[in-house]
Amino acid sequence: MKLVNKHIDKHGAGHVTLRPEDDEDMWHLYNLIQQGDSVRAPAIRRVQNVSSTGSTESHRVRLNLTLQVDKVEFSSSTAQAGPSADGSSDPNSSGGAPSTAALFISGRVISENPHVKLGAHHTLDIEANRDVRIEKADGWDSVAVARVDEAIIPGKGAEVGAVVCGEGTAAFCLLSQHMTLVTHRVNVHIPRKASSSGTAQHEKAMNRFYATVYDSFIRHIPYANPGLRAIVIASPGWVRDVLYNWMLAEASRRGDKTLQKALKDKTMKVHVTSPHVHSLVEVLKSPEVTSQLKETKFAREGMMLDRFFKMLGTDEMRAWYGPDHVALAADRGAIGTLLISDDLFRSSDPTTRKNYVAMVEGVQQKGGEVIIFSSMHESGIQLNQLTGIAAILTFPLDVEVVEAEEKEAEEERKKAAEAELDGG
Amino acid sequence: MSRHRDFRNLNINDELDDDALSDGGEYDISPEDEARLVDALDQVRNIVGDEGESGISDADLRDVLWDAHFDVHSTVNWAFDEKERRKQAKERKAAREREKAQKKAGALPSHMTKSNVASAATSRAGSPVGSPMKVAKKAVGASDKASGASTSRRGAGTDQRQLDMAAMNLGPTDEPEGPPEEAPKMSFAREKLLEEAKKALEESGDKKAVSLVVIGHVDAGKSTLMGRLMYDLGKMDEKTRTANERSSSKIGKSSFSWAWGLDGTVEERERGMTMDIALQTLTTPRRQITILDAPGHKDFIPNMISGASQADCALLVVDASTGEFEAGFDRGGQTREHLVLVRSLGVSQVVVAINKLDMVQWDQDRYEHICELLRPFLIHSGFHPSKTKFVPVAAMQGINLVHRTGENGNMLRQWYKGPTLVDLLDELEPPAREIAAPLRIPIANVFKGQGSSSGVSGRICAGVVQVGEKLQILPGDETAVVKQIFVEEEPVPWAASGSNVTVYLTGVDPVNLNIGNVLCPPDQPVPLATTFTARIIVFDIQVPITSGASVELFHHSRDVPATVTKLLATIDRASGESVKKNPRVLTKGIAAEVQLSLRSTATAGSSIARPIPLEPFAVNKDMGRVLIRRGGETIAAGVVLEIFG
Repeated sequence: MKLVNKHIDKHGAGHVTLRPEDDEDMWHLYNLIQQGDSVRAPAIRRVQNVSSTGSTESHRVRLNLTLQVDKVEFSSSTAQAGPSADGSSDPNSSGGAPSTAALFISGRVISENPHVKLGAHHTLDIEANRDVRIEKADGWDSVAVARVDEAIIPGKGAEVGAVVCGEGTAAFCLLSQHMTLVTHRVNVHIPRKASSSGTAQHEKAMNRFYATVYDSFIRHIPYANPGLRAIVIASPGWVRDVLYNWMLAEASRRGDKTLQKALKDKTMKVHVTSPHVHSLVEVLKSPEVTSQLKETKFAREGMMLDRFFKMLGTDEMRAWYGPDHVALAADRGAIGTLLISDDLFRSSDPTTRKNYVAMVEGVQQKGGEVIIFSSMHESGIQLNQLTGIAAILTFPLDVEVVEAEEKEAEEERKKAAEAELDGG
Repeated sequence: MSRHRDFRNLNINDELDDDALSDGGEYDISPEDEARLVDALDQVRNIVGDEGESGISDADLRDVLWDAHFDVHSTVNWAFDEKERRKQAKERKAAREREKAQKKAGALPSHMTKSNVASAATSRAGSPVGSPMKVAKKAVGASDKASGASTSRRGAGTDQRQLDMAAMNLGPTDEPEGPPEEAPKMSFAREKLLEEAKKALEESGDKKAVSLVVIGHVDAGKSTLMGRLMYDLGKMDEKTRTANERSSSKIGKSSFSWAWGLDGTVEERERGMTMDIALQTLTTPRRQITILDAPGHKDFIPNMISGASQADCALLVVDASTGEFEAGFDRGGQTREHLVLVRSLGVSQVVVAINKLDMVQWDQDRYEHICELLRPFLIHSGFHPSKTKFVPVAAMQGINLVHRTGENGNMLRQWYKGPTLVDLLDELEPPAREIAAPLRIPIANVFKGQGSSSGVSGRICAGVVQVGEKLQILPGDETAVVKQIFVEEEPVPWAASGSNVTVYLTGVDPVNLNIGNVLCPPDQPVPLATTFTARIIVFDIQVPITSGASVELFHHSRDVPATVTKLLATIDRASGESVKKNPRVLTKGIAAEVQLSLRSTATAGSSIARPIPLEPFAVNKDMGRVLIRRGGETIAAGVVLEIFG
């Protein structure tokens, strides 16, 4: 994403103009734009004119519209139109990742325009390489500003292509800083070995499976893209080894030099315990991957979540989760690391968002670490299932004791209020 | 069909119209021709047999001979074809009549039905395992003979046939025309079948059928033990053994030669390791045992679970050699996990084979030591001491499997006087079978059968199934008709709960058959679930279970990603009362009630998870057990309480 213009005063009022370039930028915008914000972006609108004789003519007009946002919708890759004619959908083209994500912003028009009346409804379909100007209703808070700063760091795109496979199943995933896209799934039925039918059917089906995976790999993993840092093949058992060798052999048989080179240079074979997509978390915390991709956001997220769960196992009093409990811990200044999902900041209720922003700022002020998880990553999904917020504390605190304290404090406050009333 | 009917009618008319040929009719036969004809007829008769035997009259043969210019060869061909055609026509007719009788029986009030079916059964010689095909053949044979006889007696033919039909108690012969049905028809009413199944179970006292899963740590020698046992019990022939021995030593892995009897795939043989369940059958003096040889490696536990959910009993193989037993029994070893898994899947009897004792010179102390370590763990895992048996063996040498005679057994004989492995297997008791419940067959394997049929195998969890039955495949909206049923590689007309069956289905596209689907009757489908509550027992885990934990749910041969959506309450294991509502975490050893939801596996967009067939434990025990795993270890086992849809 490119920053075109930024004007934010010290109270947070102002606007930012951004130019999205790929899918991930759409995801950033989705996280930035909230209900109530005003967004200005190019739009195409059909305008109807009625002439004096009563005949109507309609034509499409390209114009800039400013909306007050009612609803923001994001879809990752569902609307993929297949291998379309334009070159941008070729995963191996070096010019950035294919744009498959869609962002829709609907609301009422708030700026006057010769073609569109004030207050008319419109839905903006945000396009890549078109400027979007965002003005926050309640001003820019620190989390939003941080998000903009993060989004405009250049040099991203698909960083890791992963194939999570088992016997007969494979899932193709593309991991970038803030997103995991499951681009394709392969499911080939494999008959098991049986005394009656022998093993011929099993082996035939396995070969068919490898061939299918090879074909899908070519189509869905941008292996020739220099931005792709690693190709991960993960599976339980030995499927990954056999698959890797099979693909190498097939690539040399077909004379696909690029694939051969990419496989030899970039492939990491990782052991995971199940062929499901959620074992991507295991991939991200495996030593092979962490050593190579330590500084990437998704690897950090994976490690942190793992640390939280380990803490939950070893010292339950230092690992808290749930919004209420974490808020209590934050009040006591106990939070060492705050794990929070971006899902919570997207909350349509501004007061809720403000509370979370305040919590983040508070923790940062006290020297704690805050990691905002992307809910487009597998680790973020798992954090979301764990209420979306968790904390590793610097010192142990018993939840029940703290809750009892809170209750006492509450009662005292009530008593004080009553006493005041009595006194008054 | 109508062609055959015409043919038959024509035949009868011919027979009745007996003077068609003797009069000469349109033929004008010269004496030389007559002589040649008689000569040729004699030759044909020599080959085909006389009229009573072949069922083909002289008149017919003469006609054909005349048409074929006295060519004996073609006439004989025709005669055999004709015989076959008549037989088929009769078979079809018999099948149709049977179907009609069935329908009629179904329409009648129940007491009538019973008597009707009973009488039908008596007419079928009343054999409990007589296949419907056999019955049909018998009937055909009978009517065949009758018709043969009738041709000689000419005019009496039709009467005789009618009498035969009446004797078979199959109802009137003239019925509406219908297209020939490929699928075989059901031959039993449900009540009748249940009765038969019960009777068969009671009568099988001397040869009960049990299924046995072989478990244990990787490289404990499970497959080797089973391979050797198959050989010693005569299930594996000498030729296969030498072939395995030769090819395994060729690649320098001669120690795996016994295991190759079960490890069939190229990869398994290359790595010298079982990767998937191997299914075999063994016959001991008093039991018919279905062997499910499970993989020991921890990556293949999903396959092992699939096998264990098809078993009644378990055979635990442990490696006695120094250090190996400890590795398998320590934390993270499969000896523990497998035992806990099979217990959670409802297996209550276990035979422990202490293997490779020859590696420690048949040290009795070592044997006793291992038994002492295992015993408390077995009791703790929920195996009753009276149902756990220990036996020392050496699989490679085959000592104490069937016998311990010979020189190699000397050292064992000095201190061990107990039963051999086969003696212990002979005492395994099959558990009670749920025969009366609606049919449930969770599919463990799908493969291509001959022709258009697809084969599926699995264990019948409840109910009875028979050839010709229409079954629904869940999840999904497909039905299929049972074409054949195989138990222990033998075709059978029906099979009941507890059998490991291979069912060939027709009338279904194979893409609709998947491992993990459940076959059930269309009128009593198994419920489908995406969200349900379960009562679980948490195993020895490091990281506690929180709400929202991503887990894998195992149910028979299916594993699906799932989420623990709610921790409802912790439960006192003894009294079953809830201790604490809405706990924050579940740590090891706790029993709890939780809500589980399946996770969507769609690529993007709809987050609706595909439901899986499940039943509450109270309704069907086998269909109500689930296992919960995470990150390659089993973290909990449970039973389904309630299904929310």
